[in-house]
Formats: sequence, C-alpha cells, structure tokens
Amino acid sequence: MFGLGKPKQVTETEADGEIERVYHEIKQSLRVTGVNLNFRTWAGYEKFFPVMWDAMRPTVETRAFEEAADQVRAEAARAAETLGRLDAASQVQLGESQAYQIKAALDLYHYINPKLLVFTSAVKLALNGEHQARGESRAGTLELIERGVPARMYPMEMVSADPDDERISRLFDDIKETLSLSSINSDYRTLALWPDYLETVWGKLKPVTKREEYKHSSDRLREAARDLARALPLPISLTRRQVEELGEDADEIIKTTEKFEQLLPSLVINVALFELDWRTPDEAVKSPFPAATRGGGETRQGGDR
Amino acid sequence: MNWREFQSMQRVAEIGDRFVSYVDEGAGEPVVLIHGIPTWGYLWHGLVPVLAKQHRVLAPDLPGFGYSDKSDRFDRSIARQVEMIDAWMERLQVERAHVVAHDIGGGVALRLATGFPQRVKKLCVMNTVAYDSWPIEMMLQLGHPETRRKLSASTAVTMLKQALKQGFSTSPEDEVLDGILAPYTTEVGKLSLVRDAAALNTNLTTEITQLLPQLNAPTLILWGEDDVFQLVKYGERLVRDIPDARLMRIKDARHFVMLDRPEEVAGHISAFLGGQ
Repeated sequence: MFGLGKPKQVTETEADGEIERVYHEIKQSLRVTGVNLNFRTWAGYEKFFPVMWDAMRPTVETRAFEEAADQVRAEAARAAETLGRLDAASQVQLGESQAYQIKAALDLYHYINPKLLVFTSAVKLALNGEHQARGESRAGTLELIERGVPARMYPMEMVSADPDDERISRLFDDIKETLSLSSINSDYRTLALWPDYLETVWGKLKPVTKREEYKHSSDRLREAARDLARALPLPISLTRRQVEELGEDADEIIKTTEKFEQLLPSLVINVALFELDWRTPDEAVKSPFPAATRGGGETRQGGDR
Repeated sequence: MNWREFQSMQRVAEIGDRFVSYVDEGAGEPVVLIHGIPTWGYLWHGLVPVLAKQHRVLAPDLPGFGYSDKSDRFDRSIARQVEMIDAWMERLQVERAHVVAHDIGGGVALRLATGFPQRVKKLCVMNTVAYDSWPIEMMLQLGHPETRRKLSASTAVTMLKQALKQGFSTSPEDEVLDGILAPYTTEVGKLSLVRDAAALNTNLTTEITQLLPQLNAPTLILWGEDDVFQLVKYGERLVRDIPDARLMRIKDARHFVMLDRPEEVAGHISAFLGGQ
C-alpha cells in the first residue's frame, strides 16, 4: 500500500525498555486498555517512538485534546447515521454475555479511534512543520484530564493477526483487500472473537465502503481532525530534523504516519456504524468514557515540558 | 456440546466494575457450579444438562477466567472470588444454593461455606484444593512474572494442553481440551490466566482449617483417586475435619474426575442433591 512495505510491529508482549515504558504511558494518558496498530507500528522505529511520544504526551493529557477527539467522534456518529444503520446485530444469534461484550468492545474503539486520528494528524503536522501552537486557548482547554483506564473499559483482547481459523483468516484477507490495509486493525481482530458477528457485520459494511457518500464522509472527517489537531494549543516539540538526527528514516516515518491519517477516518466511521446497531444516535455522539478533570483543576502550562 | 455452544448460553451480570458470565439452565432448587484453574464454566458442560433436569443450574466463570471480566489488575484471590460469588448470588436473588466445586473452585466453596454459611445448603467438592495442597508446580510456573514475556499465548496454551493431559485417566478429546483453554488463547486471556495463577495463595485455605469443624452443610467429597495434582490424602483429611461429610473415591479417575467418569460423577451428585 502506498508503495510501502509492511513495517515491523512491536506487540505489547514483545515490548521492553523504552517501548514498554511508552506503551505503559500511552495506556495511562490516553486512558485505554491496549495499544493500537498505529503505536505498534511506530514502535518499530525504536528511536523515533519515545521521542514522538514524549513530544505528544503533554498535549494528549489536556482537555483540548479530549474535546477534539469528542468532536471527531460526534461527527463520525452523525456521518454514520446519514449512511444508515447496518442492522447486523439483529441477524446474528448471540448469547446475552456475547452481546454485552461486543457492545463493550465497540465502546472501547469508539472511544480510542477518534483520539488516534487527532493524535496521528498532530504528529503528521508536526513532522511537516505545520503545527504552530496558538499560544492562546479558551478557558479550560489546558486543564488536565484524569489518567488511567476507565474501570469498565473492555480489555483490548484480540485474535492473532494471522489466525489458524480459516474462516477468520478469509475474513481478514477480505477486509484488508477491500480497505487497502497492509495489516489488520485491532478493531477487527477484537470483533473476530465473535466470528459470526464479524462475518455478518462485515458483510453489511463492505458495500457501504464503496459508496461515494462514505468516501466523502471519510474525507470530511480527515479534514476536520486535521483542523482540530492544528488548533491544539500546546507546542509539539517534534520535527523532521529531529527524526533525521536520531538516524531514523524520516521519509518512511512520515509516509507511515500519512498512511494512518489516510485510513483512520474510515475506521472511525466504521466503528460508529457498528455502534449504531447497539446505541441510539444520541448515545453514539457522546463519549463512552467521559474524562473527569484531574484533581485540583491542574492545568498544563505552555512551557511545561 | 462444544465450547462455542456453551459460550452462547452464557448470560451476564455486572458486579461493581466487573462482569460475570454464567450459564443459567433449568428450574428448581439452585445449584452453583464453581470451576478451578485453568478452566471455566465449560468444565461442567456434561453435568449442566443432567442436573438441569431437576435443578436450576448456575455455572459462573469466576472473574479473571473464561468469558467473565479479564481486565487487568484486580484481586483474583479465592477470598475475593468468594465475595464476588456472594454478590453475584445477591444480584440473581439466589439466597441459598447447593454448591458443587472443583480444584480452586473448591477452595472458593470451602471459604463460602465457612464464611457465608447461609449461602450453602449442601456442598460437594471434588479434587479440591485444601490446606496446603496448592499451588501445584505447574501453576507456580504459570504465575511467574516472566511467563508473560517469555511465553506467547499460543505457546502457553500448547504447554498447558499437554500438562492438563496428566489430569485425565482417560485420553481426553482435543475438542474438550481446546474448549477448556479457548478463553486463554489470546494475549489478554493468557495474561489474565497468569494473573489468576499469581493470585493462588495457600494461606487462604490453611487459615480456614480451624473453621472446617463448624461447617454445617452436608458435604460430599468426590475424588478421582489417581489424581496427581491434588492427592486423595487431602480428601481423607477433609472428611475427618468436616462433621457431616463423606468421601467417595472414584476409581480410574484423576483430577478432571467429572470428565473422566461423567456418568458416575453425575449420578453421585444427583443422588446427593436429591430432587425437589
């Protein structure tokens, strides 16, 4: 895809040293139970990854970042509603516990995917020298949000990207081919825990992804996320030159980042479409895990590095 | 019944911030089936339909096991599991039940019967942990902090599958072993099982030793007498310490006695629990 080979990924199990430290901090600061494909891929650039994270971390812990992701999620939910419900869940025989867990898993990704999109856009802007902190912000946006995984968030459990099960393997191949993915996203790997559901919901989603309206929605969401990332108030100390000085391949990293920025809007919309089978549109617009302000109403200062 | 069919029967209850998946089949006096490690409710797939002819059969996956909550970092000790079972029974409005348990589920059941005696009408433990009989070496190794890093989920499950065969006197079908280990084939599942194993604590059964003579529920102790994981001598000690207890030794059976001798075990339990 995009002329790139498949970058090496670092799984959570394989992570050690600085990568393990960053994975731990990602889960705390982004309030999530696991690290998604973006991070596992960026971690393949082992010198770049901690520097990138350390530059982004002050920003992702602010209310401004959380609200930017909330706006992306709301826009995705509205786009999904316009595209129409998939009505897949009602066509699968699911036990009560299975249905409960699928909903919980979708909430996890409906929460984290918009954050990943804003994050990725911000990294891309920074690497291209296009992120200029505004130096001004409306009241409250620099306050810090709580750290830590929400108590009821589903673990980021997923089947192998290269599963033994032929049926799941075929589904993954079809998803990758249809969506031009070089690796299967965590979202689909999680949903593969319930193969009947994944098969049905993918069967419903696949034709939608070919509609012009869907592509326009994805493009609009990408632009919106980029604007929101551009407006993040704190400076992001990450430049192409830094990456080159680390001895990393800056062109490849930027291309990888652009690839994620290209693909993530569709993923955000897909999960929003899945959510609409389980939630009302009003529920889907809201964050499944609203973040409280960190005790004492602490704020992040511009020079707090 | 294969494991996916069993999984699709599971209902769910939220207990605080955790959720518990459980099977709820049949009608009549409730019977709670508590599994051990490294299994889940599927362990009872043969017993559930038999008991459900005369009872309401409730088979939970303990938190951290099977398809119950496998989030990281919560207390998985048998002491905490007892509190979870108590809260889960409260949620289901089951005031009192017969309790049938295996392995560390037996440890949970013994603590439930001594700490929450109003919950337990009759108690049946089979090849249970008790006193200082546990954790066994395999579980100590599984709970070692390095296991998470050194063993992938697929390697861990392959090794467990091989090790579990020692728990059978018969040759278990692959489908059954794969079903028992299915929830642990992902990295999250493996980590959860590692945490479960790390939480095994012999003090939680030794500290109730002096309470056993006060256990007033009629008690049946079933033991696959060739068990190499939990030796029958612990069953012999339990029957001396629990006032209204009897020990039934099951010949040609090992740790997974309900799978080695399903009809014989189901018959003994049905007779012990009685009808309506």
